[in-house]
Amino acid sequence: MADAYVVEPDVGFINEIKGLGGGDLKKCFQCATCSVACPIAPDNKPFPRKEMIAASWGLKDKLVGNGDIWLCHNCGDCSTLCPRGAKPGDVLSAIRAYAVIEYGPVKAIGKLINNPKMLPVVLGIPAVLFIVIGLITGLLDFTPEGDKIAHGHFFSTWLVDIMMIPAAIWTVANFAIGIKRFLGDMHRNALQDGKTDIQKIDPKGFIMGLVRVILPILKHDKFNECSENKDRATAHMMVLFGFIGLFIVTNIFFVALYGLQLHGPYSQLNPVKWLGNVAGISLIIGSLLMIKNRLAKKEDQVSSYKDWWLIIWALSLGVTGLLAEMTRLAGVAGLSYFIYFVHLMFVWSLFFFIAYSKLAHLVYRTMALGYNEYIGRQ
Amino acid sequence: MTEDKAAPASGIILVVGGGISGLTTALEAAEVGYEVFLVEKNPYLGGRVAQLNQYFPKLCPPTCGLEINFRRIKDNPRIKVFTLAEVTKVDGAAGNYDVSIELSPRYVNENCTCCGDCAAACETEIDSDYDFGMKKVKGAYLPFEMAFPSRYVISPQIIGTDDAQKCADACQYDAVDLTMQPKTIDLSVGAIVWSTGWEPYDATKIDNLGFGQYANIITNMMMERLAAPNGPTKGNIVRPSDDKAPESIAFVQCAGSRDENHLPYCSYICCMASLKQATYVRERYPEAKIYIFYIDLRAPGYRYEQFYNKIKEDENVFFIKGKVAEVSEDAGSKNITVVAENAVTGEKIHQTVDMAVLATGMQPTAANAKLPADLTYTEDGFIINDFAKGGMFASGCANKPLDVVSSNQNATGMALKAIQTLVRR
Repeated sequence: MADAYVVEPDVGFINEIKGLGGGDLKKCFQCATCSVACPIAPDNKPFPRKEMIAASWGLKDKLVGNGDIWLCHNCGDCSTLCPRGAKPGDVLSAIRAYAVIEYGPVKAIGKLINNPKMLPVVLGIPAVLFIVIGLITGLLDFTPEGDKIAHGHFFSTWLVDIMMIPAAIWTVANFAIGIKRFLGDMHRNALQDGKTDIQKIDPKGFIMGLVRVILPILKHDKFNECSENKDRATAHMMVLFGFIGLFIVTNIFFVALYGLQLHGPYSQLNPVKWLGNVAGISLIIGSLLMIKNRLAKKEDQVSSYKDWWLIIWALSLGVTGLLAEMTRLAGVAGLSYFIYFVHLMFVWSLFFFIAYSKLAHLVYRTMALGYNEYIGRQ
Repeated sequence: MTEDKAAPASGIILVVGGGISGLTTALEAAEVGYEVFLVEKNPYLGGRVAQLNQYFPKLCPPTCGLEINFRRIKDNPRIKVFTLAEVTKVDGAAGNYDVSIELSPRYVNENCTCCGDCAAACETEIDSDYDFGMKKVKGAYLPFEMAFPSRYVISPQIIGTDDAQKCADACQYDAVDLTMQPKTIDLSVGAIVWSTGWEPYDATKIDNLGFGQYANIITNMMMERLAAPNGPTKGNIVRPSDDKAPESIAFVQCAGSRDENHLPYCSYICCMASLKQATYVRERYPEAKIYIFYIDLRAPGYRYEQFYNKIKEDENVFFIKGKVAEVSEDAGSKNITVVAENAVTGEKIHQTVDMAVLATGMQPTAANAKLPADLTYTEDGFIINDFAKGGMFASGCANKPLDVVSSNQNATGMALKAIQTLVRR
């Protein structure tokens, strides 16, 4: 532990956390009920009591690089027992949103997607890019022909991938930079707060830690320790597995297209297609369940723009994907092409904005869980 | 008083509640010459104070202070006391109230000498509310040794049984009258002081603190009874599950207080009560370890702070800044483990103790049973004193959470307010 700590309150930070859904943080009077109520907080330096006072004092450096904010799964047990209605769960969620923006190399993008007023811009970017690039390259064919509807006739797969691949690379690069900075900060914070005495991260050990947390993450073990909102686990699992399924399908078809030169649409009998359909349905049902859960918990849990953005976006992704397929099978060409266009916009948004959206928790939380496993803090 | 200014007898003051605040209000008004009706729903006066083992910070028994007040009442012809009485209706305005009071039968008249023959004859045992159910008493009982009026009570629970008849037969003084009926009396008064006091917050509502679930978790008021010489254990502090002398005790502060899920306000007295109870334990068990889990400690004023400082010096008393939010019981030993985060060190503490005391707060009586009068209340059920309107006032804990000293100060003030209502007319 450092001998002296210079407190640098950042009032702007406090206000930003309030804006991101932590509006009640100042109600906290540090009784520490939350740290005990939390079923997954460790005994050594438990959260979220210490995060609540740091947030209240505007101690940004104690929070943004603090791995504990990611150990929290926002189950709400702390907020339920909180005697002041300070909603620690929502405060941590807001701090996470802030941290995601902080670790993205281009903060303006983070600000953009967290600003409800900029939603038309966010939605417009892929549409404009698509049409402009399509027109320039001539890959956009407004008179698709052929007996069979094939989305590839309208939007050349080349056009799609000219858009998608750079977006994917962009996101990987963003995450790479974000993770590197986050890991450094998280380790510094852990040393400072006495969470670990390992001076230097051993990459092999850390990776082993990551490997060990993968299965518990997939099984939603931490979610299931929660008592207040246990039902969230099912919805989250459906969405996560939906994404994983679609990710696998996308990769297989990518290889099929460029490696095996097989063009879609593929037969409905193809098992990969089955996986795609099941994953899509899982995504839709899961996100609908999330919406239902959030609407039912209006009083206990703050649902801010960042939360709705992700859920509705996931739902839209699934719905447009399935609708594009269904209208295609039904033979409604114009509608199908339009829906497919919208679907592509959502896919591109996924690739492009993920590192700045709430979905970034997939990466940062995994890192934090892996790190925590590595330092053996229980 | 230097000159004899007999107060104009332009009215009577009704004091509702015979606890320490009501007693003080009644006595202060009566001793300067006003007629007072004192109405108490229990069969005895003294209220919550009568249940305590000791007052803080002087650690003297409350019966001492109560006895003086009872004597003052006995000697003062201006005070008319009604026990087992409840106000059912209040009409009228300041200076001129019509009040209905329902009197429940005591089944024992003035002839009673407290010989105890009726209790000896009675076989039925009932839970003693006075001891929070930790003790059984006979169906004919004296509420406590110092009870005023010092008369036995026949519990309505045995009325109509053979036992009741046995009590009547056993009495040599014709004091047992089983034919007594409830009756309503109507009074005209000029001013009313509500001294309806408080109830310990129902600890079973705090579901994460295990009261009612685990035998060795008790409330602070139960601790008072355990420590009291006239209590269920005759002053031995032993844990309920096996009567074992505790080697360690945890005090859980703010149990249901300062908590918007329960009582949102600070109950004011619980910190001092726990510090005081720590002395009960230390006196009986010099080796016992005491853990006090708190959010903030409230020991207002020089004397209370001095008291706190003295306890703090005790090496067997440990103060942990952090609210207990989880408890569990070891099935075999029945020991209690309390969990809190020490907010100073940032470590979660799992402290296993022989028993735990929940420092539950005070809830105004009016929160659970609205009074039959035109009064305004805070959200939490405390009566708001409307001095502009006048006529009716609240004293003591009916108005806000208070200790005994402040209750008495407040009660004296409200006696004066009541008098002002009368003389202004």
